[in-house]
Amino acid sequence: MGRYIVRRLAQAVGTLLLVMFVLHLLTTVAIQLNGTPAQAFFGDRVASPAQIASVERRFNLDDPCFDQPGNPCLGPFVERLGQYARGDLGTNLRGREVTDIVAAAAPNTLRLFSVVLVTWLALGMLLGSAAARWRGSPGDHGIRLSSVLIDAFPVFVLLVVYRYVVAVPLNRWSEQTFGENSWPPYWFKPSFDPSHPWATIVVPGILLGLAGSAAFIRLVRASQLESYQGDHVRTARSKGLGERHVILHHVVRNSSVPVVTAIGLAFVEGLGGAVITEGIMNIYGIGGVLWQAVQDDDVALVIAVVTLLTVVTVLVMIIVDIVYALLDPRIRYE
Amino acid sequence: MRQTRIATFAAGAAVVALTVAGCTPDDTEPDSAGPLTLETWISQDMETLFPGDAGAYDNISVLDTVYDGLVRYDPETTEPYNYVAESIEPNDDNTVWTITIKPGLTFQNGEPVDAEAFARSWNYTADGDNGLYANYFFGIIEGYDEMQPETDDAGEIVAEGAADELSGLKVTDDLTLEVTLSSPFAGFATMLGYTGFFPVAQECLDDVEACATQPIGNGPFQVTDWQQGQELTAERWADYPLEEAPNYDAIHWTEYSAGETASWADFQAGDIDLSFPPTAEVEAAQSDPELSERYVEQPGAALTFLGFSGYTEGPWNDKEFRKAISMAIDREGIISSLGSGQAAPADSWAVPGGVPGGEAGTCEWCVYDPEAAKAALEAAGGWPEGETLQISLGDDDAEVEYFTAIGNSIEEVLGIPYELNIVSSDDYFTIRSEQGYDGMFRNNWFPDYPLNENYLSFYASGEPGAGHWGWYSKEFEDKLDEAAAAPSLDESVALYQEAEAILAEEFPTIPFRWSFSATYYSERLDNVILNPFSGAPILRDIEISE
Amino acid sequence: MNDVGLVSAAWRTLRRRPDVIVAALIVLFFAVMAAFPRLFTATSPRTCAIREARLDPQGWGAAHPLGTDALGCDVLATLVAGVRPSLLLAFVVVGASLLIGVTLGLLAGYYLGWADYLISRTIEVFLVVPLLLAALLLLSLFKNVDLGAGTFDVILLPAVVLILFNWMGYARYVRASVLEAKNLDYVTAARSLGASDLRIMFRHVLPNAIGPVTALIPTSIAAVIGTEAVLSFLGIGVRPPATSWGIQISQGSEWVLGGAPHILIAPLVCLIAAVLSLVVLGDALRDALDPRLTA
Repeated sequence: MGRYIVRRLAQAVGTLLLVMFVLHLLTTVAIQLNGTPAQAFFGDRVASPAQIASVERRFNLDDPCFDQPGNPCLGPFVERLGQYARGDLGTNLRGREVTDIVAAAAPNTLRLFSVVLVTWLALGMLLGSAAARWRGSPGDHGIRLSSVLIDAFPVFVLLVVYRYVVAVPLNRWSEQTFGENSWPPYWFKPSFDPSHPWATIVVPGILLGLAGSAAFIRLVRASQLESYQGDHVRTARSKGLGERHVILHHVVRNSSVPVVTAIGLAFVEGLGGAVITEGIMNIYGIGGVLWQAVQDDDVALVIAVVTLLTVVTVLVMIIVDIVYALLDPRIRYE
Repeated sequence: MRQTRIATFAAGAAVVALTVAGCTPDDTEPDSAGPLTLETWISQDMETLFPGDAGAYDNISVLDTVYDGLVRYDPETTEPYNYVAESIEPNDDNTVWTITIKPGLTFQNGEPVDAEAFARSWNYTADGDNGLYANYFFGIIEGYDEMQPETDDAGEIVAEGAADELSGLKVTDDLTLEVTLSSPFAGFATMLGYTGFFPVAQECLDDVEACATQPIGNGPFQVTDWQQGQELTAERWADYPLEEAPNYDAIHWTEYSAGETASWADFQAGDIDLSFPPTAEVEAAQSDPELSERYVEQPGAALTFLGFSGYTEGPWNDKEFRKAISMAIDREGIISSLGSGQAAPADSWAVPGGVPGGEAGTCEWCVYDPEAAKAALEAAGGWPEGETLQISLGDDDAEVEYFTAIGNSIEEVLGIPYELNIVSSDDYFTIRSEQGYDGMFRNNWFPDYPLNENYLSFYASGEPGAGHWGWYSKEFEDKLDEAAAAPSLDESVALYQEAEAILAEEFPTIPFRWSFSATYYSERLDNVILNPFSGAPILRDIEISE
Repeated sequence: MNDVGLVSAAWRTLRRRPDVIVAALIVLFFAVMAAFPRLFTATSPRTCAIREARLDPQGWGAAHPLGTDALGCDVLATLVAGVRPSLLLAFVVVGASLLIGVTLGLLAGYYLGWADYLISRTIEVFLVVPLLLAALLLLSLFKNVDLGAGTFDVILLPAVVLILFNWMGYARYVRASVLEAKNLDYVTAARSLGASDLRIMFRHVLPNAIGPVTALIPTSIAAVIGTEAVLSFLGIGVRPPATSWGIQISQGSEWVLGGAPHILIAPLVCLIAAVLSLVVLGDALRDALDPRLTA
């Protein structure tokens, strides 16, 4: 097990370097092909070469390689690696520390993710188990159909409709019903409020979780179906154990393996949903920061944030694999 | 089984409940005892509050409450009046300006606001080595060129600027500043209220980075907390000495990634005091009698216009073709459908009523006239068979919609097939300055200071084929020089109008739309006045009642 | 395992389920719409009169049966015009990623060793980079490239991006089934009889792995249609004035409250109907093709 983890970590470092290099190449080529972000700084103005040059220097883009299409700009890349090795993530184009940006944005995204995860777990375990338990019944069909229906509904429509049609009346109603200084009006605020970060993120999180829950429900259902047909369940039943005991200890526990996989994957794919939810609900989070950074050709910020994300993702994947082994005694790593 | 499910559900619900409940919300909402706070919005991409580096709507509107300039602008006429300045006097040929400052003013940290405070600010911003946004404003002052870095042909810096101070800037005594311009300019006083000309404290220059997030101003509000990307709070400065002091205690800006209309839902929920609805909800808001009473509007000063790649071969190099395009665009129809209450059709190059010398109707061919458009296209020799007109613009959703409508209008009237070339908003400028478009493209101009000159001087390209539109007219540029050298502001304004007439005759660009500022405000606000020039509510004049 | 037997058994199961038949009909309906748009509307989606914007639906037979959108374009005409890019994108993406995924999965699973190492690392890199980020990066790289306005040209960029981030699932799936199948008795037998690698791969290993992968196809198509809508909402999908369901939905979502909900509802209903039918088909196909669950 120990050796396995070491090997996985070594591979992870390789993946990390590769990802960083590919991103570096892409952003560099973007600057080389489309011109430096320094010009965008001046907007409608016609800037003189001297003005552009000094802004380029201010943005740390004054290395001549950024003007030469095809040049991989290894110099700045190596410099950046050295910087990271010293634990310095650098600054964005306008000189704001990347660590500050991440420290402000990451907690909100994590809050969003945790609400999404709780929603998934609740819905998936509940509906998925029910569908598997009564396989083929109208309830099963109903659950499957409605989960697909929600899944087919684009998440941005859900959020836009919620924000512009539902949230304001709900907010007013709850203010009148529960009073201004109670929690319910905060739950239904049309925008995220940084001074009440949890209360105002619950509903957006649930909506985002709702939209992605279909795959999860199906996963739980499928794996539990497999369990119901498994030998251990048959044995447990024939031993005369109560149905409740069988379901809890043999079916539900066994289906936790795919559930853990899903959590790992969700983390990777969740960022897409985060970009949209953060944008619509005005949450200052990692998704939005990254989105803006790519649009601004902010190389330093893009690479720093993605590097952090990659580290977290790879770690989550490794942990997921280890949890596998703990949950399912059949899996052994050498 | 039933019990299990209920248990699972209860557990899930408990987790949710635990995360959100636990305690009651702390009391940050305004109530009768707390400070009176104005709740408003800014865009999320605001990066800095250093005066010399500010250039966006957002930092300008924040800095306008935190700093005071030499002049401020009259909301009725946009004319500048002296505020921090006691007097601003030019010499006979408008080349040397003597500025005296009111005595006894200080920054929020106690440093004096004197001639030195202005000089250090201007020198720092004018120094090209610092790469600040407002740098170009100082090009008009003598000694600017010596402060800029030298570049080689590849655009790389070979040497830093030789000088660190503007030679045309002299502190003659504590409160007097003498400014020598490199060429005569009658409108210099008009420029002085712009953020780039605000004074800065020595403490601010000692740590510019800190000052960019925690400004040390001389205005009625001081920034107390800025969570960049989320919110900004400024509280009233108790010792503010001048007369335009607010009647309330604090301003709280919420930052929105999607701009003003994103704050509309919060306005409706009562969390924001000033807002304007998204296009789809404008009609509903306008027909709400109660809301319409809390509404102010003001024609804006930002011009959206269409330019052509005069540097590439194409029918657009024929004036008749440009006329045809212009008359084929149904400005009124498009604006009433897509942007009612947010825009107005444009038929001039300088905003009518918004700046001295701006008049409506200077553009003869800016009316929708399908027949005349077809005739003009014929006169231009028609559109080449099988070609597609490329319309380039940045990737802003609302603008894409507008330009789809413009394209549709052109296609419908003239039968010219079009395609949109959407580039990222940032690259859009680079491509334009590198003359990389082919066909028609979107342009937008928001003036820096209220003078019709500001709408015209950027057309001066210096030589044939240069500039954003590859357009050059010697007559036009001579007229600009003549106007700048005019003995008085009024004569200067009139000469600039003549320059606009030359532009209207040569028709290199097509005016499309004026911005239109409109704001709804909450019940507790009063005296909401829009700055006729920027369109932003003048925050320090707003009155809040309990 | 007898392929023909499995397929015909699958067909028999599918036929007996009414939901599958309805789903198949819906998919067929949209396919016909994509192939023969003239059957459904005579109006061009590009003739738009801005003064006729946001008309309410007028009913069948009128000038604008489903009303007009914010730009004055006929909703029915844009809807019909949007089917083709949406479906074409989905098919191209799924087809190409299937090809790439199956080939790489086969190679990795069959040869193992350095080929497997290389392919597995590549899969990992692609899994780690978030799709939207990469999409934005790649599209911003090529956005200044003029590709033309043909149906295929307008979907090319989103297609390339989605293919790049879609093949990994198939590759992993195929690799796993190849690993399983490689050790089956008849494969070992074929190898000892001297069959070539290619022959073993295509005759013996691949057919075994292809069943579960086939069941994934309808669901993947549905997923691509959904993702296209999201990309369009974020402004990096099919580019206007070309149209797709995604573009119509994201434009329509602005008008839910503006007295013109039909601009949103029409394409949304189509999208949901198509996605739902494809998922039902996929489910049925999986039930039919996955022998473990039919037991």
